[in-house]
Amino acid sequence: MDLDTFRAGVDRWLDDNAEALAPAGVGHGSLDGAMAQLSKVKRLTFDAGWMRWGWPERVGGLGGSTLLRGYLAEAVTARDLVDAGLYSMTEVLAPTMIDYARPSLAAEMVPLLLRGDETWCQGFSEPGTGSNLASLSCRAARSDDGWIVTGQKVWTSLAQYSQRCVLLTRTGTVESAHRGITALFVDMDTPGITVRPIETMHGREEFCEVFFDDVFVPLDRALGNPGQGWSVAMDLLPFERSTALWQRGAFLHRRLGELLAAAPEGALSPAEVGEVFQQVYAFRARSLTTQHRLAAGERLGAETSVDKVLLATAEQAVFDLAAAGLADEVLLGDDPAAQRWRSEALYSRAASIYGGSAEIQRNIVARRLLDLGVDR
Amino acid sequence: MDAGDRELFGASLHAVVAVHTGSALDAALDQLGWPEALASDPEAAVSLLFELQGSVAATSSALDRVLLSALGCEPSVGVVLPRLGSWAAPGDVSGEGVSVRGLGTAGLGRCERAVVVAGSWLVDVAVADLALRPVGGLDPELGLVEVTGSAVGAVTRAELSPATWADAVARAQLAVAHELVGVARTMLRLARDHALDRVQFGQPIARFQAVRHRLAESLVAIEAADGALVAAWRDGTPLTAGLAKALAGRGARVTAKHCQQVLAGIGFTTEHDLHRYVRRALVLDHLLGDARTLTHHLGTELLRSRTLPSLLPL
Repeated sequence: MDLDTFRAGVDRWLDDNAEALAPAGVGHGSLDGAMAQLSKVKRLTFDAGWMRWGWPERVGGLGGSTLLRGYLAEAVTARDLVDAGLYSMTEVLAPTMIDYARPSLAAEMVPLLLRGDETWCQGFSEPGTGSNLASLSCRAARSDDGWIVTGQKVWTSLAQYSQRCVLLTRTGTVESAHRGITALFVDMDTPGITVRPIETMHGREEFCEVFFDDVFVPLDRALGNPGQGWSVAMDLLPFERSTALWQRGAFLHRRLGELLAAAPEGALSPAEVGEVFQQVYAFRARSLTTQHRLAAGERLGAETSVDKVLLATAEQAVFDLAAAGLADEVLLGDDPAAQRWRSEALYSRAASIYGGSAEIQRNIVARRLLDLGVDR
Repeated sequence: MDAGDRELFGASLHAVVAVHTGSALDAALDQLGWPEALASDPEAAVSLLFELQGSVAATSSALDRVLLSALGCEPSVGVVLPRLGSWAAPGDVSGEGVSVRGLGTAGLGRCERAVVVAGSWLVDVAVADLALRPVGGLDPELGLVEVTGSAVGAVTRAELSPATWADAVARAQLAVAHELVGVARTMLRLARDHALDRVQFGQPIARFQAVRHRLAESLVAIEAADGALVAAWRDGTPLTAGLAKALAGRGARVTAKHCQQVLAGIGFTTEHDLHRYVRRALVLDHLLGDARTLTHHLGTELLRSRTLPSLLPL
């Protein structure tokens, strides 16, 4: 399947099935509504085959370039069929399973994620472990036939909807830092797991605290070898900054276009509009190269921090402009469209915090791309 | 050119740009076959040469060649560039002849004839009929000349479609944008070297996050411009060339600001090379449209149409 054929096929299929795919209301409504919409779109696109392209055949895919799934993500985002942030969890977690899970486990589980039958979450951050991920302390102790997990995670997106969790645990001493970390694939219905959603300022309970109290995880649920968890995390992050961000760029492009159409005469200045468009465009140009490198089988690394900085900058610029140009809606409006602008404008503040903060990205650029040596 | 040829050609260009500037560089480029490369693989010829030229603050008549080639003119004549900050044609056809207000590279004075685009005409004039003022200004090393003329007689003239002028401007904007990227990369290298060498409070200042983040910010701005250039060559329209020029101009300004701050006292002297690159960046930003003007123009167009163009398919 080549990209142009795929593109034409997806576009035609999305047109033909517009009614079945459409969300119930403006902005996909509540988080429950957005999750239901996401599952619906994933199921329909999977059953029609589109969702399976770009994924290996051994996990239920149809093979082909990663560009195919990049285009699908972009197309469903451009048509406002899915919430980009929710959809992109697949792009982050499925590659991890494919690279690190036992082949039979990956073959069993990945299709459930692709088809929208399941939601998975990513248990990385902890109350005492944010930017300094290698200091994590959620403990996994060996028992005869598995691991016993005790500890706490936080900022775990969508944990309350999730059937599985890719969990980073401490299996060495705390002093072992990044060498003593093991990644586990945990069933969220295992006894001993408690999930508490956290209400955020943008009005969605998107993140959770997750508590692990003597949670048993079978031995064969390790992702990679014991002690290899840091590699799992490091290999996952470039996906978070490549295919997932490409889709977020498509989201920003759509919203900037909608802002341009909706803003009252005189509310936007030409200089601001020009600059914000340039920022969205600059991210897309950068990310385009990244998508092609990924598709060519190149190993992505620290240079994707540039993509993340550009995306976060563009996202905040788009919604700063929206907050200024649609001030009535964002500040005073209570209809669904206004609520959506407000929620997204507030959420854009998180763009420079999640997935490695703006400061961490600049540290990576300084250390790895500019070779400035250690900073302490 | 395939990757191997490109690397080889880049290395040859590097060797001549490192030691020659001005008319000597023009001669070396002719000998190297750069004009032929410009005809057969403009992307490689323009991107390689102009980034190198910027990185050592060299000058040449290559920008004239780029513009002439896109206008379908022979390379032996000169060409009048748009005036500062503008990408509008530098000439106007008046009753008596052509009035001209624009800029030229240092090579213009060495030519007998020059082409001036005036409205929908490509006009061939005698350089002797133009007034050329060598520009000192902020960056005397760049060797620009200010070109004026009124009621200049045409040796010959031919019709030119607005699209041809727009395409020629786009090509020239890409060239200057590559040069700006080269200038910016050198500023960043100078600042990085200084940050690693300069010791204060018992450690290199490169250890301080405030310094590191300024340099990181510079690299992000440069890579944004670089990505926009790759995309513009792929896309090939005046719109994306203008976007690349604006991003390159802004990127070079951002880099100049951060690097000047990191280089601090020494970077403010003429004993250090930085000032040459800061000067070059500021003037090149304004050549064929500065970031501020291009951005305002783009925003005006977007507000007029109230729709965004869909660019850069996967």
